[in-house]
Amino acid sequence: MQLTFDTVKLKTALFLVVLLAADLATAHHSSAMFDKSTVVEVTATVKEFQWTNPHVWIQVIVKNKAGEMEEWSIEGLGPNSLFRKGWRPNTFSPGDVIEIKFNPMRDGSSAGGFIGARFSDGSTIGDW
Amino acid sequence: MQKQVISMPRRINIARLKLVTITFCIGQIFAGQPAIATDETTLPDWSGVWERVEGNGGIFDPATVKPADGRAGSPGVRQFPPLTQAWEAKYQAILEVVAEGRVPDPISICGTPAGFPRLLALPDVYEFIVRPEQTWIITENGPNIMRIYTDGRDHPADDELWPTFTGDSVGSWHDKTLTFGTVSMLGEKGTILDRSGLVLSNQASITTRMFKTEEGLLRAELTIADPLALREPWNVVRHFRKTPGGTRAFDYACAENNRNPITSSGQTLTLDAEGNTIDVEIDQEH
Repeated sequence: MQLTFDTVKLKTALFLVVLLAADLATAHHSSAMFDKSTVVEVTATVKEFQWTNPHVWIQVIVKNKAGEMEEWSIEGLGPNSLFRKGWRPNTFSPGDVIEIKFNPMRDGSSAGGFIGARFSDGSTIGDW
Repeated sequence: MQKQVISMPRRINIARLKLVTITFCIGQIFAGQPAIATDETTLPDWSGVWERVEGNGGIFDPATVKPADGRAGSPGVRQFPPLTQAWEAKYQAILEVVAEGRVPDPISICGTPAGFPRLLALPDVYEFIVRPEQTWIITENGPNIMRIYTDGRDHPADDELWPTFTGDSVGSWHDKTLTFGTVSMLGEKGTILDRSGLVLSNQASITTRMFKTEEGLLRAELTIADPLALREPWNVVRHFRKTPGGTRAFDYACAENNRNPITSSGQTLTLDAEGNTIDVEIDQEH
């Protein structure tokens, strides 16, 4: 399960790592599974937005190396703290085409820790 | 009904802790100040919704953490309470586990409270409900509820007291300061102080002073004693700031959609939307 490099830009952005570290501090579990030295940026289509405790999840569909569409799970903070940062239960809707940044899993599996997203109208949320 | 049997050293310790609390309260009475506020108009206004000021990554003691900006749970980050030699060794062993990415955090299983004193270092928001007879500390994260009795009662008798996550707290008001003693906490058997893995024993006792500063912060001064874990009392200070008016606290239901179960070896897994494990690398012990 690897994303293609024509749709994914791997970046190492220290300032983003620092910002993310501050966010992950409020997670209910360890964030050791995420590679916080790497930032993945990809264009994706939202399949589902789970506005739930203890973490919100953005289910996105992306194109893999073989050109096939596959589902990834992007984990955010809890809905309570995100609400106070301006998020809402309908921040992401199924069908939204977004650019999304996240820290990938260390083992390359299809999940990541949310950093930021940009919507088709140019608006952003999180650290973009 | 069977009578609870408490070992002699434990009984002696509980008796000693209660004696300390009683001595403190008597001292305050003789200082000429009312030990119990019976008029709610004399109590401070701690209404509203608050959030912690210090604690990068939930670090419990910002004054001794190294590196100074270290996050609890990050490799190489630790605090320096006055630990006994045995408990320093215990802490170092846990730090090695933390460095492997296996944080032994009980609350990650979504089943138990954070406990005291950790509940003063949690993310999300706080509410402090002040009444003459009792003060409640409610943490959104968890959630946790801490009850501090200020109606003049003492800690329960030995045979009515057992270690719990939050322990038993009794205290009194002096001017606008709440002082309370907490005993009978669960300690290392079910709680940690933060994700650096710092733990205390179930012999710990804590005296806490809480008051509002001139800057409008709520300040909590903790003096922690632990005959097993600490060589001398450990002083920790934490602050809370008020969030903007109108801020709400919400439900926090950790088990609602927990897609990060913890293996027996401490590995945090990730599940997909259907509940299947995503991780490619899983501990053999799982």
